[in-house]
Amino acid sequence: MEGDGSPISCSDDLAVLARVRAGDRDAYAELVRRYAPVALRTAALLGAGPDAEDVVQEAFVKAYSALGRFREGAAFRPWLLQIVTNETRNLHRSSGRRAAREKSAWERTEPLLRMAEEEDPAAAVLSGERRTQLVRGLSRLSEVHRQVVVCRYLLDLDEADTATVLALPRGTVKSRLHRALRELSSELARLDSVSGSGHEAGKREVGRGT
Amino acid sequence: MAPDRDYDALVADLAALGRELPSQRESATRVSVAVMARISDSEPVTASRPRLLGRTAQVVARRRRVVVVVTAVVLAALGTPPVRAAVADWFSFAGVGVRLGSTPSPSVGSPPPTVAAGLSLEAARRLVAFEPLVPTTLGAPEGVAVSSDRRLLSMSWTDTRYGLVRLDEFEGRLDYVFAKTAPDVEFTSVNGSFALWFDRPHEVVVLDADGTRRTETARLAGHTLIWEHGESTLRIEGDLTLAQARQVAGSAATIP
Repeated sequence: MEGDGSPISCSDDLAVLARVRAGDRDAYAELVRRYAPVALRTAALLGAGPDAEDVVQEAFVKAYSALGRFREGAAFRPWLLQIVTNETRNLHRSSGRRAAREKSAWERTEPLLRMAEEEDPAAAVLSGERRTQLVRGLSRLSEVHRQVVVCRYLLDLDEADTATVLALPRGTVKSRLHRALRELSSELARLDSVSGSGHEAGKREVGRGT
Repeated sequence: MAPDRDYDALVADLAALGRELPSQRESATRVSVAVMARISDSEPVTASRPRLLGRTAQVVARRRRVVVVVTAVVLAALGTPPVRAAVADWFSFAGVGVRLGSTPSPSVGSPPPTVAAGLSLEAARRLVAFEPLVPTTLGAPEGVAVSSDRRLLSMSWTDTRYGLVRLDEFEGRLDYVFAKTAPDVEFTSVNGSFALWFDRPHEVVVLDADGTRRTETARLAGHTLIWEHGESTLRIEGDLTLAQARQVAGSAATIP
């Protein structure tokens, strides 16, 4: 995916951040352009739905005004994504009880995951059936487990960044990831046996005896 | 037990699911424009944050005072699905609306139309409601004109070191909305103010006060820089590089 497909070194970010701090506002545009795609995906996957652009816009503006408090030498991306996550949560604050909030967040994310296959069917790695199963499996997870899976695997953040983005201790991320994968795996095995299909991805799982 | 190893296939599929999310390129550009516009203004342009998700109808309704509309034509190489491009996606910067276009475009824009001589700068200044700016590096314009509704001031220089250069000015702050964008817009600045640079040919349509198209036909413009100066929005067009355009733009000053 463009935008954050090429590896960007942290030291490059630091140089840009130094320019921003020195009063070069244009330099911030480089960071915005560099991280807008991943920020949008983060917001969308964590439940911002159609408000993802507003959430990300707000996050970038907040990050800019908070740069003075940003620890020098720290990585910009996880810090930004943490703000994106908070802004996304704020969206659902009015949704009442926690269960309602989580439900509404997932209701906004799920269609996005289902939609992906229509973007470019030829380039799709996942079969439509496998995708449907994955999305179904994800919807069975609790919100806290789903969030670590989204950050760690769908957004491809490492464990440390996942911890920063979700404001969780690293050990919590580790244990939640483990549990989430276990649940997801058994849920998918169940779905697979129910559908009785032998598509490629399913076979791979079954063949591994998990 | 290493969880990642037990669930390799599952993890690979989850990563594929993440990678196959719809591309956010257009959204990313819109966000970038909105963020840079917000942080480049020391004084807030609007009390609340601009909404990005304005529907076309809303935008059109608020477009009454928009003067120049730039349609950035997206070349086929960008792979915008025709269905999506057909939905008029707009964003507006200081009175300039930008949207995704789906019409095929030649790789070279036509030179800007010259402005007929006849009006003096001083006369033009009395006709419009804003203080005209002239780039000092270009000297006195050869042609000066004011639109019949007195909202648009145009000037041209036929023989600069960059060839023919055209400048359009209007009061852009009157209409400041955000909607949609084109992927090939570059963000830059002129004297610290946020600016947009169009390197590729793009369609330009001048709108009437009520937001409808003027009778003059759309034309393809070449390199164009749009920036704000106080209350005014300026748009310079010609065979310039971004650096040259910024230099010319940076020299804009009120008439002594």
